[in-house]
Amino acid sequence: MESALRQALRDGELLGVRYALQIPPVAASGLTGTRSGRRAGTSIDFQDYREYQPGDDLRFIDWGIYARSDRLAIKLYREEVIPHLDLIVDGSASMNLADTAKGAAVARLAGLLATAAANAHCTQAVWLSGEGFQRLPNDSLNPSAWDGLELTAKRPPDQALAILPPKFRRLGIRVFISDLLWPGDPQPVLRRLREGAAALFVIQLLAQADATPPEHGSLRVVDCETGEEAELYIDATIAKQYAGNLARLQQSWADGCRQCGARMTTLIAENLEAGLSELEALQLLAPA
Amino acid sequence: MIPFLTYPLALLALATLPALTAIYLLRNRFRRRPVSSVLLWKFPVQSKQGGSKVHRLQLPLLFFLELFILTLLVTAAAAPHWKLPQATRPLIVILDDSFSLHAIGADGLNAQQRAQNYLAGLFKLQAPPSTRLILAGREPRALGGSVKTWSEVAALLAGWHCQSPEAALDKAVTLAAELGHQQANLLVLTDHKPADEAVANPRLEWHAFGQALDNVAIVNAARTALGNQDRCLLEVANFSGQPRVTRLLVQTGTNTADRQSSTLNMGAHETRRLVFNLPAAAPELSAEIDPDALADDNTVQLLPPPRPQVRVKLDLPDAGLATLADRTLAATGLRAALTDNPQLVIGATAPPETAVSSNLWTLYWAGSEATNAFTGPFIVDTAHPLANGFSLNGVVWAAAALTNQPGEVPLVLVGNVPLVAARTDLLGGRHLRLNFNPARSTLQNTPAWPVLFWNLLQWRLAEMPGLKESNARLGATVTLKTTGGAVTVILPDGTVTAFPKTGGELALETPLPGRYTVAMDGATNRFAVNVLAAAKSDLSAAASGQWGKWSEELERRLADASLTGLLGLLALGLLVAHLYLVTAGKGAN
Repeated sequence: MESALRQALRDGELLGVRYALQIPPVAASGLTGTRSGRRAGTSIDFQDYREYQPGDDLRFIDWGIYARSDRLAIKLYREEVIPHLDLIVDGSASMNLADTAKGAAVARLAGLLATAAANAHCTQAVWLSGEGFQRLPNDSLNPSAWDGLELTAKRPPDQALAILPPKFRRLGIRVFISDLLWPGDPQPVLRRLREGAAALFVIQLLAQADATPPEHGSLRVVDCETGEEAELYIDATIAKQYAGNLARLQQSWADGCRQCGARMTTLIAENLEAGLSELEALQLLAPA
Repeated sequence: MIPFLTYPLALLALATLPALTAIYLLRNRFRRRPVSSVLLWKFPVQSKQGGSKVHRLQLPLLFFLELFILTLLVTAAAAPHWKLPQATRPLIVILDDSFSLHAIGADGLNAQQRAQNYLAGLFKLQAPPSTRLILAGREPRALGGSVKTWSEVAALLAGWHCQSPEAALDKAVTLAAELGHQQANLLVLTDHKPADEAVANPRLEWHAFGQALDNVAIVNAARTALGNQDRCLLEVANFSGQPRVTRLLVQTGTNTADRQSSTLNMGAHETRRLVFNLPAAAPELSAEIDPDALADDNTVQLLPPPRPQVRVKLDLPDAGLATLADRTLAATGLRAALTDNPQLVIGATAPPETAVSSNLWTLYWAGSEATNAFTGPFIVDTAHPLANGFSLNGVVWAAAALTNQPGEVPLVLVGNVPLVAARTDLLGGRHLRLNFNPARSTLQNTPAWPVLFWNLLQWRLAEMPGLKESNARLGATVTLKTTGGAVTVILPDGTVTAFPKTGGELALETPLPGRYTVAMDGATNRFAVNVLAAAKSDLSAAASGQWGKWSEELERRLADASLTGLLGLLALGLLVAHLYLVTAGKGAN
């Protein structure tokens, strides 16, 4: 793991101290914990009554009701759970584009979200795409203790998803960090990520060089993942077409997110701090 | 064939070629740039200017086009030229313009027509690349510019009139050689053989089309004033080797009754001179001999000579002086009866300082009692018109001890005393001062006295506007004294030549025989021009033949062939193609 990425994880951890993950109500499911769950549990918060069923714990019979109505009724209490965050990181090489702050931004953002999740008393799992999806070693610890954050994969996330999909926890909060720059329909990817999740957030992280068309001149562009090259003469028309292509790509992902109930935003790596407000607006983060 | 560069320093501009190459290399070098994905760089429609298409194919097209254009422009700027051998040479034709070419031979053609026919045949055989015509008259002159086709040459030949009294063929050949830069073929068309029959110039061909014909001609004619009569002279020459009889018809005016006919029995090569007098009032005289081979020299016209006189006003209070002057003036015969508007005033009072009229001359007789008698030595400006034949040997000249006035030029001096002085006013009027006391002088009793007055009147006459002669030979220059105003000359063929402003004297050319009319200041003068050239009337030396031949064995003629224009045009065409490629987007980079 690159030292720069590790440093970025530390920076993200420091940055995330100020934030807490916003837990959507539908996400009140998970291991027994400190947060009220959606289902009945063992907390002290009364939730409902129901008829006694054989095998119910006799301690929860409301004897007052029995005295008044000669019926056995069981008092139900709200369960207490620990929410879970599944952080899905695009591990392809384009996420660590040379001469940009993209790789560091990925690590900072991941560290920030993990720290914010910890602040919200969430458990977390970090999934990194490559030849399939793998959990990062030590991902349940603080981000500075993570290991194996290598952004060098040659496959885009959709292919990794097909090879070895991650084992998400049900009703967890899932955050997908990627530049989304691969060909193909976003719907299958989004459906698989959204399946069984309490909420899905898609954060498109772009370098400034990705978002802004390059200046005029002759250019030999090299795909950092596939090595594919194209020689171009950039002019105003070409720059406009580039911006149009990017806008169409973003629109297709936005449409896909809307269809499957996910929320999406785009951040610029070189301007990450300013983009955190976008995450607050997305109701992913809240001040701690 | 190695080209020569007129401006080799222009090759320094070749430095633009590597500059252009560097521009292209720098401009078209691809900067490598890793991107997240080439997904966004794939476009359904390519931009006209930008994009990934056609780069490698079209960039070199414009580059090499511009490289080629630059090379062409630099080469054109260096002005390369070759010396290329030429198969044919330009032709310069020297045309004898003398009237002897009008002599009609036994075939009914004259030499001019035969020469034209030969020239036409030459053009049919092989037309030269360019042709120039030079007329050899009294002075050689070019007839038009350089022409290429026979029709153009024929149009120029319409200006070949053969009316000159002589033909300066040698000068014309020299002029032609200069015009032809020793490269052109020279062709002389005349009616006589060259002076040196061995023509040394390898570029010269001398063709004569004349025929030795018998000819009787009027070779001299004059009519001069002699008192109250006109003396006429006619000279008729027989240029044939056989005795000839011809009839001379002399007529004055248009009245046929005044015709006088005489038969001249002339021996071989005899010249007969006829001198006779005519009354001064006799009108134009025409003389004619029988027709022969050459018609131009068979007739002459002689107009009455001009008899100008000066209107002199005597304004001398001293009766003795007045009588002396009056008698002297009357003796000259040049004094006109005075009506008014005198042209010369002889008086005892000094003329006004301010100019009155250019037509008014004065002689101020500055007589004085306090005079000294001088016997010499006298200093005379012999170049002055007044001093023509003026001798003061043995003369006693009594004059006051005066000095010359400002602006006066002394003409006769004794010591430092001006005896005769002249001044010219602003309008051109002349004012003479005669410092002379006849009472103590002997000048009026010597020939110098009438000479002085004769010269004075002649000088005055010479300065009066008008023609000085009424008859001239063909080709001579007739001098016309003008007042500076407009002059119109009508030639015998009706051609009118106008001179809107003249400088006091006009030299009129006489290219045609006949009667000329000169209109000036409302007055009309005439003079006659006659064909009087014995050398050209003598047709015995006329000959036919060819002398000299254009050499084909000489070194090949090398002509300059410049490629500057061609290169420039080619560069222009390529620039247009470049513009089209750029605007059409086919070669844009």
